[in-house]
Amino acid sequence: MTHLTGFDIFTWIASFLVNGTLAIILFVRGRARSFPFFTVYILEQIVDAIASYFVILHAAALTYQKYSWTAASIEEMLKLCVFYEVAVHVFCPTGSWARDVRKAFLVLICLSVVIAVLLTWLAHPYAPRFIQTQILRGNFFSSVLLSELCVGMVVLSGTVGLPWKTHVARIAQGLGAYSLARVGILTIQNVVGIHGGRHIITRTSHVNDSIYIACALYWVVMLWAEAPATRELPAAMKMQIYTLNRQVENDLRRIRTWRQH
Amino acid sequence: MRNLYFVLLAVLLLVALTATLIRFYLRQRRSAETNWQDLLHRLVWIDRDAIATIALDAVTDEGELRPHGDCFALDSGVIWNLLGGLEGLEVIERNCQVLVELAAYLQRFYPEALVVAEQLRLNAREIEWHVGRLKGAAQTGNLEASFANYAQRAVVIYYMMTRHVLTLYDQAQFPGLAELQQAI
Repeated sequence: MTHLTGFDIFTWIASFLVNGTLAIILFVRGRARSFPFFTVYILEQIVDAIASYFVILHAAALTYQKYSWTAASIEEMLKLCVFYEVAVHVFCPTGSWARDVRKAFLVLICLSVVIAVLLTWLAHPYAPRFIQTQILRGNFFSSVLLSELCVGMVVLSGTVGLPWKTHVARIAQGLGAYSLARVGILTIQNVVGIHGGRHIITRTSHVNDSIYIACALYWVVMLWAEAPATRELPAAMKMQIYTLNRQVENDLRRIRTWRQH
Repeated sequence: MRNLYFVLLAVLLLVALTATLIRFYLRQRRSAETNWQDLLHRLVWIDRDAIATIALDAVTDEGELRPHGDCFALDSGVIWNLLGGLEGLEVIERNCQVLVELAAYLQRFYPEALVVAEQLRLNAREIEWHVGRLKGAAQTGNLEASFANYAQRAVVIYYMMTRHVLTLYDQAQFPGLAELQQAI
């Protein structure tokens, strides 16, 4: 059984309340339909908060560590699913992947995995138990990977000129900021390791929890607000755009066949 | 020692990612505040006569490819000089970027124009790609080999694209058509 400090209980209650509010907003405002993975991620946070409370209070230390490992793995998988969901919203504007981003997106994923693997290989945290070492390294790997993917997605969309819808952008901003902060926190934890006192791990974990609560609060506010209303395309402008596109397309078709002449 | 490398590389990565994120976030915010007229005004001046000379060496006024024996009379060196070298290509590239942003603007505010805006964006990206290949070749000293393939192609597309934008501007009766005609 583990002793819980006043701050532990405060962050537990705060994150439970914020996640609960966010889940309600996702369903009431109809966002759950557009962001199913994000909704599942938030629901998982709520279930984890309840389950971990009982595991911490009533289970043995090793059981708690095994539970932590399983819960962290599920959480990281869900975060990757949220990333994929955001990527689909940004890079599939017409329902299929924009053809100029497919290759770059695959390169982004491969490069991110390689960098995350290399950095994690360099990490050598000290911990009394093997499973604790794996939790520290695993969390570091997934945070680095997710940070790279989020930043890469922003860069790629900016480069190819694909715009972000309001709520998609807010989810990605929260996730990206939280992942980046976690990279810093987990770097410290991997360097210091888990020694007898554990107070650095505890303090950095408190910082981590506080940053998550701030991000979740940001999501609560942003996902409650409606996106700016879209405008109706004036008939004249619609005609002009269609004409412009047809002309540019015809030009390109002609130019592509030059080599054959 | 391994820990030192770990900390150094992790901090380096964190700083690089944060700086990139901030840079692109600010760029996105600026782009979100731009309106249709602002975008068209961002087209940069380039010698229109020179562009027309290069383009009309390959196509007719209507954009049809000229018949054999009556086209591609200009050699690479002349085209390069008419374009104004690498700087001229960079202007063309920047103007193509405006077209890409124009498509993004449409996607952002007019969802019903999504499909056509996406096509427009892809086409503008292809023009950018041609120009990018040329710029790359110029920087590595392989311009002569690549020029025949990409330069005139890119200039013709650019020439016709600017003509289409001018027509669009005229039809929409946006103010400042005269300035735009001078600019592009």
